[in-house]
Amino acid sequence: MDLYNLGAVSWWESQCYYHAMAHLGREGLIVCYPSSPYVCLGLHDDLDQEINREYCDIRGIPIFRRETGGGVVYLDNQQVFFQLVLKRDNPQLPLRRHRYYEKFLHPAISVYRHFGVPAELKIPADIVAEGRKCSGNACGDVGDCVAYVGNILLGFDFSVMSNILRVPYPQFREHLRQAMQSNMTTLKDWVNYSITYDDLASRLIDGFTTQWGELNPQIPDQELIDKSSEIYQRSISNEWLEMPGRRYYDRKIKIAEGVMLMERKINLNSSAVVLVRDGKVEDINVFGKKEIENKLRGYQGINKAEYAEDFSC
Amino acid sequence: MQCKKYDIPENLYYDTNDFWIKVNGDEAVVGMTDYGQSNTGDILYLELSSGGETFKQGDRFGSIESGKWVGNLTAPLSGLVIDNNNEVERNPRKVNADAYGEGWMYRLKLSNPDEVKSLMAAKEYSEWVAQQINSEEEIG
Repeated sequence: MDLYNLGAVSWWESQCYYHAMAHLGREGLIVCYPSSPYVCLGLHDDLDQEINREYCDIRGIPIFRRETGGGVVYLDNQQVFFQLVLKRDNPQLPLRRHRYYEKFLHPAISVYRHFGVPAELKIPADIVAEGRKCSGNACGDVGDCVAYVGNILLGFDFSVMSNILRVPYPQFREHLRQAMQSNMTTLKDWVNYSITYDDLASRLIDGFTTQWGELNPQIPDQELIDKSSEIYQRSISNEWLEMPGRRYYDRKIKIAEGVMLMERKINLNSSAVVLVRDGKVEDINVFGKKEIENKLRGYQGINKAEYAEDFSC
Repeated sequence: MQCKKYDIPENLYYDTNDFWIKVNGDEAVVGMTDYGQSNTGDILYLELSSGGETFKQGDRFGSIESGKWVGNLTAPLSGLVIDNNNEVERNPRKVNADAYGEGWMYRLKLSNPDEVKSLMAAKEYSEWVAQQINSEEEIG
């Protein structure tokens, strides 16, 4: 299998090379990181619902829509990407695509453990350490291939991420930031020295070599470069970015596997920010007219059950 | 008919993308099989093509997302979409819950009914599913 250990690449190359390989029907592993930040939507995310475009415009943060699943992510040079493209008929690829995550994420789990992080798989596709998410992962059928993509978090800017997402009111944004900080962790939380890209990349590559045998180092050829440019041109078109996606009546943001922050409108003047974990309400904060808030607080136990009733994530 | 734990009704046709097809003259109703929905897992989002759109056999005619996986729906036969099931777009888990009933996806007007000959009958599909299950067990 081909290996592209690319190091720093432009923000769009960090997405377009693996899409290009998949559309060209070429198997391989890419390891890289983006030299500048950007926002990445999942294929079925709705741009207007999910993204605070004003903030992204002011900060000059570009937006990309990938062809794999999952939700919106903020990506920057504090994350090392590993992207595996396999042909759909590869005999090692299970029909139950989520079953492959365990194998795909094993090298990243080993890297975390090497640095003393007690990382483990949380099915279907999260890596967690002491219950906190430490890797973002997605997969999708792209062309005649399947692309699995993931990252290792050296650090994460929770403040920027909470500003990038569209939220119904400022208090929701603060709860979002707190929820992410409480439910995510990065290498910086565990290691008090600087870790280089080369160290992470070589350990990741060792892990994939164990799975796939000797990998053949390559640099992007003209076919790959041309296809990547073509995908980039499509990716910045309004038609592609503004493609309609899944919409919700109330705002819901997935924080980690099984953890969701959501808005529940109570009436025109008030609403609640609800943190749900594994289908159960963990926290509720009501915003709106004080008297309504106080009244609801008195009945919080009942309302928790009501909010949990129809929700699982 | 059943293969392992998966229902495979005998009055339907099937393809290797795990669609069932109920043919009635030059019309067909299409949905995902029990085995197909089980492989996909909890379906979180479905994007179906609208009525009036035409497709050739093998074209992408929709998109599906389950826990962190996105895939294409591939037209099992050529034809015109007469109707799609808005209800499963609103509640995709109906495909998981009732694959051969409320989980139907499309009603098609077939442009080339001869293509039905390329589909599998229940017995043939059952054998194909058994092969897939054996392959999965070998992968581990």
